[in-house]
Amino acid sequence: MIRPCDMMTVSLARLIRDGETVFHGVSSHIPMIAVLLAKKLHAPNAVHLNIPGGVDPEEPELQAYTSAGGKLWETACAAFPLQEVFDLSMRGGLDVAFLSGVQFDQYGRVNASVIGDYHKPKVRLPGGAGSAVLIPTAKRAILWRTKHDKRTFTEKLDFVTAQGHVSDIVTPLCCFTMHEGELILKSIHPYSSLEEVAANTGFPIRYFSADFTPEPTADEMRALREIDPRDLRNLEFR
Amino acid sequence: MNKLCSIQEAIASISDGAMIALGGNTLNRAPMEAVLEIVRQRKRHLRLVKTAGGLDVDLLSLGECLDSVDAGFISLETEYGLAQHYRKAVQAGSIKANEHACYTVISALRAAAYGIPFMPVRGLQVSDLRRVNDYFADVKDPFGGEMLAAVKALRPDVAVIHVQQADVKGNAMIEGPKYDDLLMSRAAKRVILTAETIVEDNRFSRSDAKADIPHFMVAHVVRARLGAFPGSCYGAYEPDEQTIRRYAELTDADGLRTMIGEGRKV
Repeated sequence: MIRPCDMMTVSLARLIRDGETVFHGVSSHIPMIAVLLAKKLHAPNAVHLNIPGGVDPEEPELQAYTSAGGKLWETACAAFPLQEVFDLSMRGGLDVAFLSGVQFDQYGRVNASVIGDYHKPKVRLPGGAGSAVLIPTAKRAILWRTKHDKRTFTEKLDFVTAQGHVSDIVTPLCCFTMHEGELILKSIHPYSSLEEVAANTGFPIRYFSADFTPEPTADEMRALREIDPRDLRNLEFR
Repeated sequence: MNKLCSIQEAIASISDGAMIALGGNTLNRAPMEAVLEIVRQRKRHLRLVKTAGGLDVDLLSLGECLDSVDAGFISLETEYGLAQHYRKAVQAGSIKANEHACYTVISALRAAAYGIPFMPVRGLQVSDLRRVNDYFADVKDPFGGEMLAAVKALRPDVAVIHVQQADVKGNAMIEGPKYDDLLMSRAAKRVILTAETIVEDNRFSRSDAKADIPHFMVAHVVRARLGAFPGSCYGAYEPDEQTIRRYAELTDADGLRTMIGEGRKV
């Protein structure tokens, strides 16, 4: 039985290439674990950047309450705080930024700000954190969202917090990728189906050949359990 | 000069309506003891500045201390979830949420620290945030002609920062992640420090490890062991789940003031 949290973490990790500079922020356990997984397997020279500013923390003890905590600093090799990560992205040096949101449209635009009117919101959301400047300036913005339904993947956003260099979106059901400015279905997770993805997506699904996402391998699962023995990659699904 | 004082005295120096920057990030090393004292003293109309806030912003919201929040992200992160008191206050119209990208808070503080009125920022032009907020504008590169977004400087009246070590003059060292605290200390007109430990006067002058915040920026120093509780403080303690959950269950300012009581006597 493949769990969505494992499939998502593995899918995000596979998108990281060796040698890339990679950043994740707050409320980001799944990408944090994906970065550690990629570095342990196929991308040992990827550079792990984070909010506390600990570069390449070695086997950090993961903290449940934060993905921006001191444990990412404790075993790091150098200090490169958030301000400098942003500066790096501004001058074109950040390869990958992991970000999320609450609504996404078929053009890969993101709303993390409000439901309803910005000045009189029906729901005030936490906010886009770095999205509004990182999505347009990082070489690739990789998005993830642990909900996949028609309110999340919608034709009409209430607000565009960020847009720009979105390359991929990973959900519990599938992987989307951007193609000529529009999201296309890249792969369907093995426990889902084209019908399920389409029924839970608020815009028409387009694809060239939608294969199944390769299942997490034994190596990937073993590494995941070593990196994340407390199963914090499942935090958003509990 | 000895700036050691009680938390009551330090917080009493903040005027209603002041712009205050809070150090730390989400539940990490936020100046919680100072936050609770602000609630006890019923400060009003504060304008809060932070890159990523959490329980600090939530309790100041519940305590009815805030008019506005300039921040990129307000949440207690995944395990503890949304900052519900803040969310409700914004939805009720009693707090103005001035959403930034975290970097535009940094840029606004840099502008203040550099003594200039605004800072150009790349990328923001394509966000609706640029369109709906009056603290952003367009600016043209006078040399190359490129259009960029600009963010207006944020010059806090006071930065409140919790540190592990400070001496009585106000020289302070932050262990572990510094987040945006040093920038805040340079951007603000003055600094209030709360410190886990008050170290001897010559600690930093006799060591190669120098203070991160120099005394001349600091107005008040407060001894505050567990000053980030119930959040975490690097090298000292992790968050306290039970207390965080109790805060989340409160429904109004009176309930909060009853729960936090009179506070620490110094």
